[in-house]
Amino acid sequence: MLHDLLAWTGYATIIYFIAMQSYLVLLAVLSGAALRRNHHLGRFGRITEMLSSRTTPPVSIVIPAYNEAVGIVDSVRSMSLIRYPRFEIVITNDGSTDGTLQELIDGFGLELVRIPYRPDIETAPVKAIYRGRGAVDITVIDKENGGRADALNSGINAARFPYALCTDADVILDGSCLLRSMQRVVEDRERTIAVGGNIRPLNGSRVELGHLIEASVPRRLVPRMQVLEYVRTFLASRPGWAAMGALPLVSGAFGVWKRSAVLAVGGFTRGHMGEDMDLTMRLHRHHIDNGIDYRIVYEPSAVIWTEVPDSLKVLRRQRIRWHRGLMTAVRDFLPMTFNPKYGRVGMITWPGMFLFEYLAPIIEIIGWVVIPTALLLGALNTATLIPMLLIAMGMGLLNSLTALVLDEVYGYFNSPADTSRLLAMSLMENFGLRQLTVFWRIRALVGGTKVHVWGDMERRGLVNLGAQET
Amino acid sequence: MDGATLAWIAVLIIFSVDAVLVFGLTTLKAIHRRRRRNHDRRRVGYVSVLSRHLAYENCTDLITAQDAEDPAFVDALIDVRNAVSGPESEMLHRIVDRYNVTARLIRRLSSWNSVGRRLRAAVALAELGDETSTSILMKHLTDHEPEVRVQAARGLGRMRWTAAIDTIVERFGEETPPVRARFADTLVGFGRDATWPLIAYITVNHRFESEGPIAAIRTLATIGDDQAVAPLIDLLGEAEDIEVRLTLVEALGHLANAEAAPMLRSLLAAEDWRVRAKVVTALGEVGDPQSIEPLADALTDRDWWVRRNSAAALARLPGGLTALYDALDSNDPYAADAAAEALADVGELAAARDRSTAGTATPGDHALLAHMAEAVA
Repeated sequence: MLHDLLAWTGYATIIYFIAMQSYLVLLAVLSGAALRRNHHLGRFGRITEMLSSRTTPPVSIVIPAYNEAVGIVDSVRSMSLIRYPRFEIVITNDGSTDGTLQELIDGFGLELVRIPYRPDIETAPVKAIYRGRGAVDITVIDKENGGRADALNSGINAARFPYALCTDADVILDGSCLLRSMQRVVEDRERTIAVGGNIRPLNGSRVELGHLIEASVPRRLVPRMQVLEYVRTFLASRPGWAAMGALPLVSGAFGVWKRSAVLAVGGFTRGHMGEDMDLTMRLHRHHIDNGIDYRIVYEPSAVIWTEVPDSLKVLRRQRIRWHRGLMTAVRDFLPMTFNPKYGRVGMITWPGMFLFEYLAPIIEIIGWVVIPTALLLGALNTATLIPMLLIAMGMGLLNSLTALVLDEVYGYFNSPADTSRLLAMSLMENFGLRQLTVFWRIRALVGGTKVHVWGDMERRGLVNLGAQET
Repeated sequence: MDGATLAWIAVLIIFSVDAVLVFGLTTLKAIHRRRRRNHDRRRVGYVSVLSRHLAYENCTDLITAQDAEDPAFVDALIDVRNAVSGPESEMLHRIVDRYNVTARLIRRLSSWNSVGRRLRAAVALAELGDETSTSILMKHLTDHEPEVRVQAARGLGRMRWTAAIDTIVERFGEETPPVRARFADTLVGFGRDATWPLIAYITVNHRFESEGPIAAIRTLATIGDDQAVAPLIDLLGEAEDIEVRLTLVEALGHLANAEAAPMLRSLLAAEDWRVRAKVVTALGEVGDPQSIEPLADALTDRDWWVRRNSAAALARLPGGLTALYDALDSNDPYAADAAAEALADVGELAAARDRSTAGTATPGDHALLAHMAEAVA
């Protein structure tokens, strides 16, 4: 009886992984078709026409900042140079204790002003508002600490324009990323409520004065593994979801949101660790429940670069936070799962998130315990087990390789050394690193570590990024 | 065959696919690198040959038929085409004719090529602007591939082929929003020639649908032809769809013609706050001094957005600043703040500080500085 139970559990675990990898490979194929089409259209797009058009919608770039004194001025200066006809920068200083506000005041010659601030979304109290009168149209909201979501809400309250690009203070925006994402808005202004962008790790790349000079794959294993993960996520999953019209997540690091739509659902949820996923899903639910025609799209050519954790310690904190955000979202949107009322979001993407993101670490840990035990007790037939394990691994490899082939559409990593590093990583990640991330996600499930609602990165500042890989 | 054997076969297949992908990826990268490098090198070479042909009438540099087939040659032609004008442009057209470049591109566009090849041909035809391609571009305005339709329209727009306007406008209602938006850009390129066809389209269609007419109204606003003002005012009187009405108000603001001011002012009494908020902004853009008083009244509107937009509009109007200074004493803190913000945005705050330093500050300056000092306090 115990033998049978162990054997069936062991086989079920492996079958689950084969099913998961098959789902991801199918998604990658779908993404490939979407990217191919998008690539053709992107090459002959209308971004230059948009640049000179008077009717291109203005955008508020909303940046929440907490203890970002190192590098925030460089970062905002770099952002202010993006190609877009009309935009403002709204920074929310969320009760920083490291002099972030003073850096901004000195860097941009800000003046304390009294301007109308309408709390359309309730936030922690605003202490003061500063405005730059120089070349950069910049507003700084100084408020009490309330977390990232609260800071974003405050920025959206103060935003003067109908679309808000919510991003982070430590990213490098590609010069045309806003034009490319707003191109999707202009195509269909009435229905487009959010546009997600393609986020790529910056580590290992050459950065000068807050601008990316040359992208390359980091030598260190931890950031290199994340390069592969980001390529898989942003090129082999999200285009597929978006092609189905069922994108479950517009990333917090880069998302253009229609302000009125965000206000209609009450903004980002304060204290949520996955506030971006939560808002995306609430927008889906709100529009479907109320019969409002809408679309949430993904633009892979709108690229931003961000620094990813360089050490296991920071990565661990980040992954625990992410998984807690996912757990909350899974609980909150459980009624949408396998609910035909919510169309493809309810029947394909959200069940996919539940089955293959939320449950994955639980099932994997069961596999780690059950399969060796069953092998020791002779309950599993090695002649069947080994090929099944190899199938699961081979499918995982297939998923990574497909993502790398899809990445060739944009061709950021050109040197043979970069290619071989990524190829080697797609094999190496199966031995240790992936298991570690599973362990961290289990820690998130059982609540082993205290995490903060603000990010976990140790800031170096954009000017220092170029030297980090030497 | 038992389960284990089947599983091993599956392993073999999956790892073979993996191996093919690894090989494919490395080869693809190498091929792309080499292709990009060679293409760029050839393109630069062709640009210099073409430049010499334009500079010296009797240039003996050879352009072979094989060269004319090369995509890098077409790219070089486009580069040069975009860099020259006048007689040099004529000479370039002669080169295009001599080597049948247009005919080759038309063949490529019309054949069962891949989407990418057809698109490249459509783009090249649009860029080269050779009038012999107009009939084929007109035909491809209804191509099954949306981007080819867009490029066909763009090419006709670049050549200002006015015969295409009606067809493009007619397709407004049938196209998806992305294509419609691109068609609108093309129509903007036609300028005033597109005004009346667009007005006719809006007049006929605004009662039945909103998306097409809205795109057409925005196009008219971008074209900026004053002839559109009177018909748009009439349409504003007739239109029932709120989105169409809002877009009409916005367009009249963009057109900035004083003829629209009375109609816009009459809409300040509209029940819907969105209309009032757009109207005050439009009045600011129109710039009619008679709007100062109604805009000053709108500073006490029951909706916050209307008050804020009114302040911004007054700041744009010659003579509007007095009303803003008056509003600094308003009982409504939002109105006072909006007025202060608008004044600061147009440089009045800095000027008030300078005057205060120089000892020539006016009562208005004192009020503005005091209002800002409250913020500091």
